[in-house]
Amino acid sequence: MTSKKVYDWQNTSWDLREHPPHLALLPVGATEQFGPHLPLSSQNLLLEAISRRVAEELSESVYLLPPIPIGSSGQHEGFAGTVSLSWRTLKAVLTDLGESLLQTGTTRLAVLVGLGGTACTTTMPRENEIVKTAVRRLNYDHEELEAIWVQPLTVADPPLDTLFDDPQDDVHAGQVVTSLMLHLHPDLVKALPESHVPPAGSGGYLHQLPFSALCPDGVWGHPHLADAERGAEALRAAVTGTVAYIEETFADLARLRNERA
Amino acid sequence: MLYDAEATYADLEAAEVEIAILPIGAIEQHSLHLPLGTDWIGAEALARRVAERLARDRDVYLLPGWPYSLSQCHGPMPGTVWLTPRTLADVLGDTVRSLYTQGIRRVVVINGHGGNFVLDAEIRELNLRYPDLILLSAASWDTAGGARPTGRVTGGDIHAGEGETASQLYLNPQHVGSERVDYVPPVGREFLDYAYMCHISPHGVWGRPSRGTAEAGKEQLERAAEGLARAVQEAFEGIAALKGGEEA
Repeated sequence: MTSKKVYDWQNTSWDLREHPPHLALLPVGATEQFGPHLPLSSQNLLLEAISRRVAEELSESVYLLPPIPIGSSGQHEGFAGTVSLSWRTLKAVLTDLGESLLQTGTTRLAVLVGLGGTACTTTMPRENEIVKTAVRRLNYDHEELEAIWVQPLTVADPPLDTLFDDPQDDVHAGQVVTSLMLHLHPDLVKALPESHVPPAGSGGYLHQLPFSALCPDGVWGHPHLADAERGAEALRAAVTGTVAYIEETFADLARLRNERA
Repeated sequence: MLYDAEATYADLEAAEVEIAILPIGAIEQHSLHLPLGTDWIGAEALARRVAERLARDRDVYLLPGWPYSLSQCHGPMPGTVWLTPRTLADVLGDTVRSLYTQGIRRVVVINGHGGNFVLDAEIRELNLRYPDLILLSAASWDTAGGARPTGRVTGGDIHAGEGETASQLYLNPQHVGSERVDYVPPVGREFLDYAYMCHISPHGVWGRPSRGTAEAGKEQLERAAEGLARAVQEAFEGIAALKGGEEA
């Protein structure tokens, strides 16, 4: 018999005290433009769906935290409805949350950093290097804490480029995110816009230019190629890959600790 | 023409500085064979070579290399010193604002230390705050073209390995030791976010320093400088054009 369970904000503090979860799961979301066809809450809605499933499929007990609803969206300033934290604020939020979890006995923390994507790596979270920086500082400053970060679409298993075409062009509000929304929240998806891909190489200028300079309609990718069926497959792949990544990473960290001991 | 901190203010006043270049290094352990200043020495050398190329047809101001950055991942190993991310970002922001006050609108950061991710976050915010400024980071955008890895990334030449050993053998051979330990940890690169380097690799190396040669160091440095100088010019032109289009 397994006593594994998912705890969240609907539980009492006493539930957590009697059954301390093995790890906490913290999604970092955003309230930002997702083209003319998807809601500002797209990232938060998808992260809620993914993180819930990840929490259920992890083999140990999990404390699932609510997504941080406003994140690092400065690139999208100028688009109505987008709100953003400066990197200093976001880093402070992550540090405070990690340290408060540690004070109440949670020593393992997995941060889901937005969604990631087909063109991303596990080395650097796209447009969110500050989460990487914050996780580093938490680990270095607190010997007893193990904090990791992961982007669900980046570690998807099977990889999303086996499900979608032109994955390098799927940067924002493109076919992957639109497919996921068509699967999970079809009532919130409006008429799909045409493809937009800015000139080759200009993606390297996203640290210098607002997103609107490259993508006036807020879309980078091929949203009209999206469909709900592949959205369901992408969701399954993201959840499977994220669960595997989290379990393997904590196992490797335990091994490194044992080698030192 | 190339100006550096050996120039006087009057020299710079008479010049028409179009681009300023700021190298950022680190003072941190580099395994048994390389000096603590490896990143700083490497960043200054690369920045000077990039500056010399850019200065052929414009005035360039090369700042002294900033020595300290985010080296806490090497924390327990002697000689390593580090700033917090906020402090490093403030150093960059204050330096850029000083130059901005003097009318310089194009600045290039040559970042010599891989752990300085906060620089890109600060660079984005500065570029958004000052629309007539173009602040580039050589470490982020010079690799934007061509095939990039996706998904899980392991292995590589991350620290005190072949590339850095070759660079120091070329630039600083009298300070390169002979005891070179090769080790590539069997985990993803992001494990440097999760554990100290010395807990992943006891001798503080991630790569194969035994393969480094001075010839390769010279070749890679000159190639990097040539590529960066060209990429800097292309980026300034491309970004200015996109900004112009936006304003029109």
